[in-house]
Amino acid sequence: MARILILGYGNPLRSDDGVGWHAAVQLFRSIAVPEVEVLPCHQLTPDLAEPVSRAERVLFLDGARSAPGGEFHCEEVLASEGSPSFTHHLSPTLLLAIARDLYGAYPRAWLLTIGGNTFDAGEALSPEVETALRALKARVRELIAETIGDFASAR
Amino acid sequence: MDGAGQRSITIDPVTRIEGHAKITLHLDEQGQVEDARFHVTQFRGFEKFCEGRPFTEMPSLMARICGICPVSHLIASAKACDALMAVRIPPTADKLRRIFGLAQVIQSHALSFFHLSSPDLLFGMDADPAKSNFFGVLEAKRDLARDGVRLRQFGQQVIERLGGKRIHPAWIVPGGVSEPLTELNRDAILAGIPEALAIAERALQWFKSVMENFRHEIASFGNFPSLFLGIVKKDGGLTFYDGNIRIVNAAGDVVAHGLDPATYSEFLGEKVEPWSFLKSAYYLPTGYPAGIYRVGPLARMNVADRCGTPKADQELAEFHELQRTAVLSSFHYHHARLIEILYCLERMEQLLNDDQILARHVRAVAGPNAFEGVGCCEAPRGTLMHHYKIDESGLIRWANLIIATGHNNLAMNRSILQVAKHFVKGNELTHGMLNRVEAVIRAYDPCLSCSTHAFGEMPLRIQLVDASGNVRDEVCRPL
Repeated sequence: MARILILGYGNPLRSDDGVGWHAAVQLFRSIAVPEVEVLPCHQLTPDLAEPVSRAERVLFLDGARSAPGGEFHCEEVLASEGSPSFTHHLSPTLLLAIARDLYGAYPRAWLLTIGGNTFDAGEALSPEVETALRALKARVRELIAETIGDFASAR
Repeated sequence: MDGAGQRSITIDPVTRIEGHAKITLHLDEQGQVEDARFHVTQFRGFEKFCEGRPFTEMPSLMARICGICPVSHLIASAKACDALMAVRIPPTADKLRRIFGLAQVIQSHALSFFHLSSPDLLFGMDADPAKSNFFGVLEAKRDLARDGVRLRQFGQQVIERLGGKRIHPAWIVPGGVSEPLTELNRDAILAGIPEALAIAERALQWFKSVMENFRHEIASFGNFPSLFLGIVKKDGGLTFYDGNIRIVNAAGDVVAHGLDPATYSEFLGEKVEPWSFLKSAYYLPTGYPAGIYRVGPLARMNVADRCGTPKADQELAEFHELQRTAVLSSFHYHHARLIEILYCLERMEQLLNDDQILARHVRAVAGPNAFEGVGCCEAPRGTLMHHYKIDESGLIRWANLIIATGHNNLAMNRSILQVAKHFVKGNELTHGMLNRVEAVIRAYDPCLSCSTHAFGEMPLRIQLVDASGNVRDEVCRPL
């Protein structure tokens, strides 16, 4: 069973908005160990609480509108403790809260983001975001190694 | 534009719908609602985006438009490509595509009912917004919340078993599907159906038990005469995959039947209003805006004579008892959605037990044989049409997508106005009033999520603006 769940989300037809999705697809192709499950998705939805609840660690990969283009950021996130409004877009903290409240699960989780330059229709990432993607994937590999040790079987 | 003495309230964005939109309520001098508009503030632009691409790429490209109903776009697009190739796909591929589409409806309807609308139904429209959300449901009615997650998960797992792990599966291709169904996957899906059916039946019983609490909402949530449009089988039965268009009026009488979706431009018009990027579709013979019609679960229940599966047919008969005419209130979209989940599960079971479902021949191969093709199916939210034109090299020259939310645009606007006139008073801004305005939109479950997901992270903003454009009052709901 996978110990680490990687959720990369965003719209790959909206340029830099899709950076989390692109990161997940690339990691899916390059990391071939059973302890790691990678799910590229368009957005976070409540049914993902179940796979989140089964993981020891969850890595959320996303694009950020509020950060400067190409800026990479990684922080540990906790399940929401307040009384959040439930909107059409779940945040990592809300998804963690559903996993906690529905399944009694408390996985450690990190949110890794890259600031986007453009969110117009398009399939390509901007050069700055493309560059930052390498840093994001390197950090993902570090977090995986911290959990399962050296994953030599990765391609 | 606001006239002298007129004020407006803006709800921006509308919460618990897919995508980004805002609502503006225009008030007269007495603070009474005079007009209401549902603005879609994002620009999709995907039709332009696909010009110049090989038509064979269209299904996988179109599936990435939306994270909530990618399969519906995939099916409509592949059917348009089938038409461009002028092929008849193998019978097993036809059935597998149907199962794929049914799974999509189940998971999409589950998200709409359990996660987005159940807080309104459980706590009522006047409940504290801090409580009236999915976490409130988790606390107050844990089984309902858990059922919602399980049902959506079931639909998603069927999609993954057929199309692979990725959210935008390219399993459906022009000419059929890329891989046959394995016995292992068929049996695994069949094994999950009893639990999913039990969930659907529980949800229906619960909904019917609380429906009486919403008499005022039923009376005012888009309860007006309109046309209803959907595709039906030749025998008038419910279908999500293939059929001709039937239109019924408010009395429940059929006004058009057997319309070929490929000729949609002969009977449907589209109008662009300056205040929204969303096109408003209307029935051409009646004109604009009198040609207002509704699509989606409520419309499908109104246009179909039967579902064709035992449990859903029983529920449909009960549904038709709600009103002697067509069922008019958009509040009943919720009810119709639950009946459709039941139907989808029963129909999926029938198809999976078909003798030929594991057959290996699942794809017809051909090059472009026509310059124009239309694909049509019933997406969770209503009739979806993809229309492509290609050149001699098979490259897309022109594309037009008519999405369910566009079909429903006029009806959503009229529904908001009706609810607002009934419940909103300009000098008494309360959460319950404004929530009802939002709730009627949620009943249609509009899907606008082809925007960047980041747009959805804004707080809800409600502004009261006077005739001079000054903000007199503002309410901001934190996420």
